[in-house]
Amino acid sequence: MTRYLKIFILSLIALLPVSVRASHADDSHEGDHGGKIDPKEIIFEHLGDGYGWEVPFNHHKRIPLPIIVWGSDGLHIFSSARVTDGQTYRDGNAEFRIAPKGSEYKGKLVEIVDGKEIRPWDISITKNVCALFIAVIFVAALLIHLARHHKANGFKAPRKTTGAIEALVTFIYDGVIKSTLGDKAPKFAPYLLTVFFFILGMNLLGLIVVFPGGANLTGNIAVTLVLAVLTFLVTNIWGTKDYWKEIFWPDVPLWLKFPLPIMPVIEIFGMFTKPAALTVRLFANMMGGHMIVLVLTLLIFIFAAINPVAGGATTVVSVLFSIFMLLIDVLVSFIQAYVFTMLSTIFISLAQHHEHHEEHKTDEHQPAPAVSK
Amino acid sequence: MELFTPDFGLIFWMFLAFAVLFFILWKWAWPVILKTVEQRADLIDKGVEYAQSAKDQLDNARESAQSVINDARKQQADILREADRLKNQIIEEARTAAQAEAQKVMDSAKMQIEQQQKEAQLQFRNQVSEFALDIASKVVKNQLKDDKEQAALVNNLLDEIDPDK
Repeated sequence: MTRYLKIFILSLIALLPVSVRASHADDSHEGDHGGKIDPKEIIFEHLGDGYGWEVPFNHHKRIPLPIIVWGSDGLHIFSSARVTDGQTYRDGNAEFRIAPKGSEYKGKLVEIVDGKEIRPWDISITKNVCALFIAVIFVAALLIHLARHHKANGFKAPRKTTGAIEALVTFIYDGVIKSTLGDKAPKFAPYLLTVFFFILGMNLLGLIVVFPGGANLTGNIAVTLVLAVLTFLVTNIWGTKDYWKEIFWPDVPLWLKFPLPIMPVIEIFGMFTKPAALTVRLFANMMGGHMIVLVLTLLIFIFAAINPVAGGATTVVSVLFSIFMLLIDVLVSFIQAYVFTMLSTIFISLAQHHEHHEEHKTDEHQPAPAVSK
Repeated sequence: MELFTPDFGLIFWMFLAFAVLFFILWKWAWPVILKTVEQRADLIDKGVEYAQSAKDQLDNARESAQSVINDARKQQADILREADRLKNQIIEEARTAAQAEAQKVMDSAKMQIEQQQKEAQLQFRNQVSEFALDIASKVVKNQLKDDKEQAALVNNLLDEIDPDK
């Protein structure tokens, strides 16, 4: 009985993106565009950030979130409900509104100074920031739950969900971190494991279409950029002398590095391409997955606008493909978190490089277990 | 494109969120989890090692038990063989002793028989000689009725006795 209930709820969840977007598309259909839907507009709105959180089945209502900005005259905090539907909000002497279409800052909060739009320092709790907090709480709760299990039960192997989390921890720790970093593993494991679980948590929450999820977090370049920059910092701050020597004075013929530092330039360039690749890989993969589901859903309305029968037929195909794509995205969520962690581990291990004649010295640098950063 | 320009607010919050999450996990989750996982792996390794050595020991014990059994069997066979030999020897000895005894008994019996035979012979001879003397005396009595004949007989007898001497 519970099994059928679960299947029913799961299929309902799988169908939700369709219904949510359906109501959305209906709104656009009847509303602002005068009978025409603008797929590009809808897709980018859903992939991007927002000052409120959509409520299912109703495109107009949004859960208001706090706006925090540092304007021309200091800090302002107010609810995003005050600036919905293009309203202008006056807080003290400053005037704020969400920039309308056609503006340089379209969709962002701007301060109006002398009739001109200025973008203030904006650290609002947007939909993405809120989802970020949820992801932090979600991941921290899961892992602390596992830690508590270990504290309480000693060596007794955990079961079910806790066991699954532990399987993931050991999968990453033994399979990726330990096998790549060797005796340095305990030093970097906390960072790398945190990265893995954070990305995985954000990816999976992003696939849930209603409230606790639905934000396209890892498909946002700011999020992936921060993660890549952190890996870059960890790599370079804990880089060994040999790593820096390899960059500035690599083991190549002299003419490649002396009058013109050709190799050093390439090496330094390489330092920055690594995090760039990390940023773009995660961002593009996750955004692509979300976009495909959105496009498949929108196809229904595009075809329905041409011919109702074609629209009906497309519905079946689109729904099936959407479900298929969401399932693929579950896989991609895991793979991308894994790949990001694996590449970070490799970059860090490359910076832990010691020349062969110094290998016997590495023992002196053995890190204290589980102490890092 | 809006999608490809990172937003300052989100970068700020992302840094903060990551720092908070890292701190929480670094302080309360990873040390406990990793330590337990490592220790459990060590425990399992030790368990496997222990089981292996126990198995080896068991095999050894089985082997030594087998050799003890084999030794015992051999000893048993030796003892049996020895006992068999002893038995045969005893029987043989007994037999020879018995034979000697029997021989002795037989010899003495023979001697007795011989003795008795001799005595019997002697008795028999005496009796015969008595009978003979009786008969002879009767015959002589009869024959001595006639003097001629008496003399002939005496002569005859004297002749007979003479070559005997």
